[in-house]
Amino acid sequence: MSALRENWRIVVLVVLLLGSTVALFVPGAPPGTSANETAGGDQLTNLQYGIDLSGGARIEAPVVGMTAEGVNVSLNGEAEAQQAIANRLGIDPVDVGVRAAQQPGQNGTVELFTENVTTEEFRTALQEEGYQPSTIRDGVTAETRQRMVNVIGEKISTSALSGGRVQEVNSPGGQNFISITAPGREASDLIEILNERGVVRVYAVHQNSTTGNWTRQQVLDQGDFREIGNAQTVNNQPQVPVVVRDGAAQRFQDDMAQAGFDTQRRCGANATEHDSVETINSTCLVTTLNGDPVFAGGVRSDLAQSFADGTFANDPSFVMTTTSIEEARNLQLSLDAGQLPANLDFESGTQNTLSPALADQFRTNSLITGLLAVLAVSLVVYVRYRRREVALPMIVTALSEVYILLGFVALAQYPLNLSHLAGFIAVIGTGVDDLIIIGDEILQQGEVGTARVFQSRFRKAFWVIGAAAATTIVAMVPLVGFPLGDLSGFAIITIVGVLIGVLVTRPAYGDILRNLVLDE
Amino acid sequence: MVAFEVPEVDYTQYSNRQLIAVPLVVLAVALGVLAVTFAMTGSPVALGNDFTGGSELKVQSSEPISEQQATDIFGDSVVSVQQVSGQDQYIITFDNTAEISALTTQAEQADGVTVLQSGSTSPVFGGQNQRLALIGVGVAFLGMSLLAFALFRTFVPSIAIVISAFSDIVIPVAIMNLVGIKLSLGTVAALLMLIGYSVDSDILLNNHVLRRSGGFYESTYRAMRTGVTMTLTSIAAMTVMAIAATLFGIELMASIGIVLVLGLTADLMNTYMLNVTLLRWYKYEGVNR
Repeated sequence: MSALRENWRIVVLVVLLLGSTVALFVPGAPPGTSANETAGGDQLTNLQYGIDLSGGARIEAPVVGMTAEGVNVSLNGEAEAQQAIANRLGIDPVDVGVRAAQQPGQNGTVELFTENVTTEEFRTALQEEGYQPSTIRDGVTAETRQRMVNVIGEKISTSALSGGRVQEVNSPGGQNFISITAPGREASDLIEILNERGVVRVYAVHQNSTTGNWTRQQVLDQGDFREIGNAQTVNNQPQVPVVVRDGAAQRFQDDMAQAGFDTQRRCGANATEHDSVETINSTCLVTTLNGDPVFAGGVRSDLAQSFADGTFANDPSFVMTTTSIEEARNLQLSLDAGQLPANLDFESGTQNTLSPALADQFRTNSLITGLLAVLAVSLVVYVRYRRREVALPMIVTALSEVYILLGFVALAQYPLNLSHLAGFIAVIGTGVDDLIIIGDEILQQGEVGTARVFQSRFRKAFWVIGAAAATTIVAMVPLVGFPLGDLSGFAIITIVGVLIGVLVTRPAYGDILRNLVLDE
Repeated sequence: MVAFEVPEVDYTQYSNRQLIAVPLVVLAVALGVLAVTFAMTGSPVALGNDFTGGSELKVQSSEPISEQQATDIFGDSVVSVQQVSGQDQYIITFDNTAEISALTTQAEQADGVTVLQSGSTSPVFGGQNQRLALIGVGVAFLGMSLLAFALFRTFVPSIAIVISAFSDIVIPVAIMNLVGIKLSLGTVAALLMLIGYSVDSDILLNNHVLRRSGGFYESTYRAMRTGVTMTLTSIAAMTVMAIAATLFGIELMASIGIVLVLGLTADLMNTYMLNVTLLRWYKYEGVNR
């Protein structure tokens, strides 16, 4: 027992080594993973690889838009203000976001999600509507960015791009970016999905019987659906079954009945032949995706009947047919994921694509590089001390530091990139430095007679190690909060590694050395 | 196998002036290089794509690609073509006028060319990176300096650490300018690592001289024995990493390795010529004042 207590540092080291082994190799051990999940990793370990080491795409881009702050809008006036400002600027209302003050004493914001309006035009339009914005700045509000992150996340997970990550990246005092990572894909695929905002609208097109003019009335938008079925083909007809939300069903039913869809209608238009709902002159129900008609159809007699007698609201479901199954899938994706509040400005961002083949090479080669570096360290240490009982534990301790750090990374399911490997190198470097300090301090001042002499020398060495570790951590901390490429990942790995080293492995080396030296 | 012992330097042979002259001249030359670069380009360091904006393709090609051929395929936006040593892979760098999707398409249409990696950074994003990298290095350096003063609480030994760390960063940056390595996010990471490495041996030296019993020269020799071993071990590891990563074409690790080898070598000079001299002056003359 007392042997255990005396060597508690070694005990802690062994426990952490075992823990890391579990975290690394037992399938499903890290929280949030299942035993058969392998996306972005490999079968052998629980390590997650980022795109640098597994291939894939990463995009970072700011959100298109500008924000007027300090606009006095009431909670009830949001929709009205949105329409009024859009009309004044001659833009689509989806490009205007009005947010009333959330707490008394604050002011609301108005956002524009288009590049076609200048700050001056925006200010003038707001003033003409009677608002006095305090500032107008580039960029959108934090709420909009959060919604962007959610919707993009939805879009990526509903499309075939599995294992993607979306997050908001704030650079202190500067622009905000949305960062999207998708393993195994090219940046251009990702941009294709995100370029379209996925705006879905349903119009009732009908003719005024007296004037003969065609009216294109919007009867449903994205938010009006409660349930979206899977895109499917029934009787050679690609379609998406949908259910309208309770609050909207009644209005939709009334609008449809008034527009003359209370009896069976046949549609004379073909969605593929039109680029906009404006050119359709036929009594049809038209669904547009990003302004492009994807479905133009009539209303069957039973559906028309339910609009007429008001029973539709009791079971507000119908089927949207499309011209192809691809379109049906896109429609489903857009309805499911919702529309992006704004576009991403890819021109002002950064993008990277790495082929899986090259990433594989990087993975193997950086492992070899790391091993060669460790070999070089071992050689220098051995040549310097020429004593196996000093050099060997030094190398083993340094390696166990890396092993525990890997275990931590696997446990946190942190995707490893090249920059993190740089962090590993920094950790091995400072680790070996510290072990040399401990070794020299203990061995080179004459014989170590008693445990007390040993203890005092060890403490002296530890002052230097602690001070050096503190400076390294202080130097790295500011980087953690910086979204600079991957520098924050590099800093996190270095800090965690140095902490593991100072708190566990380097003290344990002292204990190992004591046992070896005092045994003699 | 050869054994190495850190040789004992007889510091008594040299005056403070002689010892400190070498590192100060080297630092002055390095600062001069930065000043000249600044006068010529408007930036003290040659900035890479991460900071200026631009695109880069890594392609596999059955035929060798020269700069001329690259210009034929991609137009005038080509900045440089670099072959990954011993492999049929080429890194083609473009300025920020090119559109990455167009470049990728052009590359894929060329005979026998496969695109392995593509990346582009917009000038806006690059500017952002520049600002953040500057703040990052600045804050890290400031934090390190404050901690150095907090640890030793006397002016000369603390400022010795700060000057030495400053020189350790400036010298590799100047050499990078001379040999044409551009500053990237990876090299910024390496410069930050240097702050950590550089401080290790300085703290060790200060600690031995100031906080231990024993004469100045004896303490210095003890610190040197440990410190030089540490730095040489790191240099060995980084040299191996730089060479291996260059052969494998892993740019990031290669540039980190090169910068660290340069910086650690500078650190040997700074710690055992500049720092030692300042400490000796402090110990024999400064304290008595």
